[in-house]
Amino acid sequence: MMTAITDNLSVFVVILPLFIAFVLPTFARRMKLVEGLVISVETLWLIGVGYLASIVLMQKGLPIIYKLGGWEAPWGIELKVDSLGAFFLLVIVGVSLPVALFARGNLTEEVGSKERVIRFYVLYLLLGGAMAGMAVTNDLFNVFVLVEVATLSCCGLVSAGNHPRAAEAAFKYLILATLGSTLLLGGIGFIYMTTGHLNMSFAHGELAQVWQNSPHVVWMAFSFMLVGFGVKSAVFPLHVWLPDAHSNAPTPASAILSSIAVKGYLICLLKVLYNVFGPALMVQFNVHRILMLAGMVAIIAGSIRALAQDELKRRLAYSTVAQVGYILLGFGLMNIKSLTGALFYLASHAVIKSSLFLAAGAMIGATGKKNISELAGIGRKMPYTMAAFTIGSLSLIGIPLFSGFIGKWNLLLGGLETGNILSAIVIVLGSVMCAVYLLPIIRIAYFEPAPEEDWQDPGLPQKIALILLSAAVMILGILPGPVLELATRAATELLMFQ
Amino acid sequence: MKIFLEKLVVNYPFTIAVFLFMIGALIVLTKSNLFKKLIGINVMESAIYIMFAGGGNIRGGAVPILEEATPKSLFINPLPSALMLTGIVVSVSVTAFGLALIIRLYKTYGTTDARKIAEMRNEVIKG
Repeated sequence: MMTAITDNLSVFVVILPLFIAFVLPTFARRMKLVEGLVISVETLWLIGVGYLASIVLMQKGLPIIYKLGGWEAPWGIELKVDSLGAFFLLVIVGVSLPVALFARGNLTEEVGSKERVIRFYVLYLLLGGAMAGMAVTNDLFNVFVLVEVATLSCCGLVSAGNHPRAAEAAFKYLILATLGSTLLLGGIGFIYMTTGHLNMSFAHGELAQVWQNSPHVVWMAFSFMLVGFGVKSAVFPLHVWLPDAHSNAPTPASAILSSIAVKGYLICLLKVLYNVFGPALMVQFNVHRILMLAGMVAIIAGSIRALAQDELKRRLAYSTVAQVGYILLGFGLMNIKSLTGALFYLASHAVIKSSLFLAAGAMIGATGKKNISELAGIGRKMPYTMAAFTIGSLSLIGIPLFSGFIGKWNLLLGGLETGNILSAIVIVLGSVMCAVYLLPIIRIAYFEPAPEEDWQDPGLPQKIALILLSAAVMILGILPGPVLELATRAATELLMFQ
Repeated sequence: MKIFLEKLVVNYPFTIAVFLFMIGALIVLTKSNLFKKLIGINVMESAIYIMFAGGGNIRGGAVPILEEATPKSLFINPLPSALMLTGIVVSVSVTAFGLALIIRLYKTYGTTDARKIAEMRNEVIKG
């Protein structure tokens, strides 16, 4: 029994949330039961992923390969849990458990009736399962299907809010995201037609030999993939849907969208770029320069747009656009330090941004006010929430001893290693701008006179969720240990991939 | 130039796919009617399906499994067609979800025109 579970663990971590998602609607109206089930499934998932990650860590670079249905690689679909996959699985579960805890008993106000809350949980688990699949799959068409499952559940989560702007934001997101996935499918088609393989490892081997026969097709595949994933992960000029979608979604949804959903597409982009095309082809086609440029522009432009927002959730959403820039910059710099930095920053941003969004949602829920200027003195009324927000902000700025620092520091070292001074300047400038748009919120919250109104901290599960996420931010900053090791190993594997 | 045109005609599925893709993208990006946007998405997706199916086709090839392959006629590649069945399922679900959202928007705003919806929303914010 035990061996059957451990042997098939890499498929269980994908199927478990997907399966439970479709069981949930049968418990109509029994909200307590559904919430308990979701949290216990997330806990079980965390245990499974933790075990899988520990196996990957102990195997020192050997990936766990699982053949679906027992078919061998070029014909069947492979799941490959390498360091990157295990790393991203840890991030997904580590964030989605606290967010599910935060959602407990707190959704009816934002979402509406009980049936709608239960449907919200269905989409929540579907998104988690699809993201887990994207982390471990080694098949290009599988990537497309999982991306579509994730996109549709994201749109559903955005439209879950019971106000009309939610539907509008969801439609905008749906159209742009479908545009992206159509381009993605086209890119997969080009790769399939040049190589005859959908398996990433086989496609990579074939592509390295045949790309010279049809360089234009490879070029098209590159651009389709870049734009397709770029739309979905809100790379700067293609980010137009993100602020609307993330600020109009219910609080747990905007936390999970900003922290996990955007990152899943980035991880897929990373896998396609490094595991299918390979670093050599990237340099040949100058894709790394495009990534670097897009990253730097995103950091600056996203930060400037964030500065201009007075609505708290919109400011955080634009901040996500800027932070995606850091990750892309790390992908483009193409050395071990910068890739490690990008991956670690991806994990720390996932934790930080979900804690910031949850804290912001708790404040908006308690006060009914959306704008930063109206939240004066809130730090004295809601100490827990504001403490979580402060820890998140300091970490996002990149103060040492917080998790954001390690990612940014590695990125900076990576940039200097390649002799790219401009990227180092942009990284530091982005940090300064981050301080400029986040610190005023903290100043207003703590150093303005407290208002008369009776604003209170959210209930116990919400407090636990915020404390868990803040603790994760601190622990990742002080003792990055295994997470940093997984990130370093993933970066090494990506660059050495042959 | 002549070789280029000849290639366009010989590989006509790809030519059609490129044109359909451009038409679809144009509809999505320029039309403000929400239904037309959704139709544009579907046209774009059809272009990709034609590209895949055309890529798997061999002219005069045998149908896999049903027919026996002879040295003269090869099997056509069934995989792209099978993949596109999945793609069609995905696009149907996207369309259904989009239509549901349009119904919700129509109930709130009484119109399916994106520009009018944006105007009405801005008025609400100002007032």
